[in-house]
Amino acid sequence: MPIGSTLAHPAGIQPGGSRKADPMPDVLETSLTAVPANGGGGSAESRPTVPQAAESPAFRHSRTHRLADRWAHLAFLSCSLLVVGLIGGILFFLASRGLAAFWPVAGNMGRALHLSEVFLSADWAPSSDRFGILPFIAGSLGVTGLALLIAAPAGILTGVFIAKMAPAWMRNLMRQVMDLLVGIPSVVYGIFGLTVVLPLVSHTWLADAPASGFAVSAVILAVMIVPTIVSLSTDAFESLPSSLDEGAQALGSSRWQAIWHVLIPAARPRLLTAAVLGLGRAIGEAMAVQMVIGNNPQWIALMRESTDRAPFLRALFTPAATLTTELVQELPNTAAGSTWNNVLFAMGLLLYLLTMVLILATRRLGRGKEA
Amino acid sequence: MGAAPVFRRSRSSKLVDRLMRGVLWAIAILFVVVLILFVGAILKQGWPVLNLSFLTKMPETLDAGGGIKPQIFNSIYLVVLSLGISLPVGLGAGVYMAEYAGKGRALNFLRLCIETLAATPSIVLALFGMIVFVQAMGWSFSIRSGALTLALLNIPVITRVTEVSLLAVPRELKEASYGLGATKLQTILKVALPYAATGILTGLVLTAGRAFGESAILVFTAGTNASAQFPDFRLTVPGETLSVHLWYVTSDGTLPDAREIAAGTAAVMILVLLSLNLLVRLVDRAIRRRTR
Repeated sequence: MPIGSTLAHPAGIQPGGSRKADPMPDVLETSLTAVPANGGGGSAESRPTVPQAAESPAFRHSRTHRLADRWAHLAFLSCSLLVVGLIGGILFFLASRGLAAFWPVAGNMGRALHLSEVFLSADWAPSSDRFGILPFIAGSLGVTGLALLIAAPAGILTGVFIAKMAPAWMRNLMRQVMDLLVGIPSVVYGIFGLTVVLPLVSHTWLADAPASGFAVSAVILAVMIVPTIVSLSTDAFESLPSSLDEGAQALGSSRWQAIWHVLIPAARPRLLTAAVLGLGRAIGEAMAVQMVIGNNPQWIALMRESTDRAPFLRALFTPAATLTTELVQELPNTAAGSTWNNVLFAMGLLLYLLTMVLILATRRLGRGKEA
Repeated sequence: MGAAPVFRRSRSSKLVDRLMRGVLWAIAILFVVVLILFVGAILKQGWPVLNLSFLTKMPETLDAGGGIKPQIFNSIYLVVLSLGISLPVGLGAGVYMAEYAGKGRALNFLRLCIETLAATPSIVLALFGMIVFVQAMGWSFSIRSGALTLALLNIPVITRVTEVSLLAVPRELKEASYGLGATKLQTILKVALPYAATGILTGLVLTAGRAFGESAILVFTAGTNASAQFPDFRLTVPGETLSVHLWYVTSDGTLPDAREIAAGTAAVMILVLLSLNLLVRLVDRAIRRRTR
């Protein structure tokens, strides 16, 4: 396996270059005499690369090399430009299909919709030509908000625990746990929710069967986004100057007082960034939520009509739908170019624009910290 | 910050301190327990199904007792293909960001783009892949549509890992290389990248794990069917992966033993990801011991 063999060379020494070859110091010295400015810099760290020089005392600097240098620059640049192009490309193609719902475009099968009958209507009945996506927007916000309500405090407290309180073994354990949690695929989270969590709450005082809805989805989502929040907030707390912590303790604070009154306020911009990125992950998650939320576009009506349980239980356990789950659920069944299909792409466009807004928001937060 | 807070060491503050320490420990331990319960439940459910014939049989469409052989193949094939596409691009972009793109507005903008791409929901990437590869290029649901769209998921991660690993290369190392008369390209290829290789490789394994578990993208680009041939290396056939299979059998409901198949597939995926994780950890430890 190439991984093992390459990783076997610590610090990426070139294969073939021996680490502790004794002729090396001489080579180092002789070659460095040409560049006295570097004299002190030739630490042990730089040695691994010098065997190169043992074979050819100086890198050849021919015309071809200079040419290669210039072409490589172009190649690296075009890779980056490709990424920039992708951002624009995704926007363009999603908009070309999503906006087709609102303008009469060639190849469009249905009529052009009015913006308000899509974004301001809760009436989703595509087969009768009604396309209000408010239930999905509300569903996305609801389930994401609920997940964040669980994950943000838990994640930030775990972050401060890892950075400022846990003994080394616990710190390592927590890192591994978070690495594993973030690596579990969303469909596996989904099947866990479907086969373990749902049966747990179904047929209890919490919910009639099946107990799909916001509560279970939000709990699953919270576990999925917690690693993001934990790792970012751990970084935030670790990057605080230790004088803050020490100062607080010198003033007689207890451990918790230092955390609550000094460390958390000082790290606030980066903690908010962590929460926003967690929010972004939650709002875009599709498969896990789709498997447990129940996929009911008419959830608002159902929630209003049923009177059998306490209102908050109804809100938590009524089968619902979100932007992402509706896409997964209905996109395969709709014909390209139909109004229904176009509206679904408009929902995708909305998700993408939301991502951009969230990323720009983290930028703002980051800048606020520097100022 | 405003006025310096005054800390009172009363009995109650000591009590709160002890209480909150307990709460923090409890939350942390809760996550450990959640993980153990989670992995335990998935493996326990899948264990009765897991045997050699499950792994080596073709899937059934209507009857019970199908296997997941082509799905295993497709998962590995798609991960390899998508990494093959995204590695050059991600490496190139990462090198550009670390070594070429100064420190000005251009780098800032590039980083914004990478962050946006990294944060883009996979369902949105799926829509893009569906429009461009499945429909516009006329490739329909196929391995190539899936691999290309999956590459979009990998690119930002590989770029980021490459950039971070390259920025960690000591400056003296590069200066020594320049001092020996190396061009920038030579320095990057022969000094910086080899030094950063371990970090990049670790990131690559993690990216592979993520691509392995991805489902939303592949449902809409590689499709929910697996080829009847085995092994089928053609890029034009649909390629259902393990994660898509897991989702499809649970939501489709035509299989009488959908539950068992899903449980077994989930267990296989967890086992693969656990061993990938273990691999990264062992390699990491080996490197640390050597460099110490």
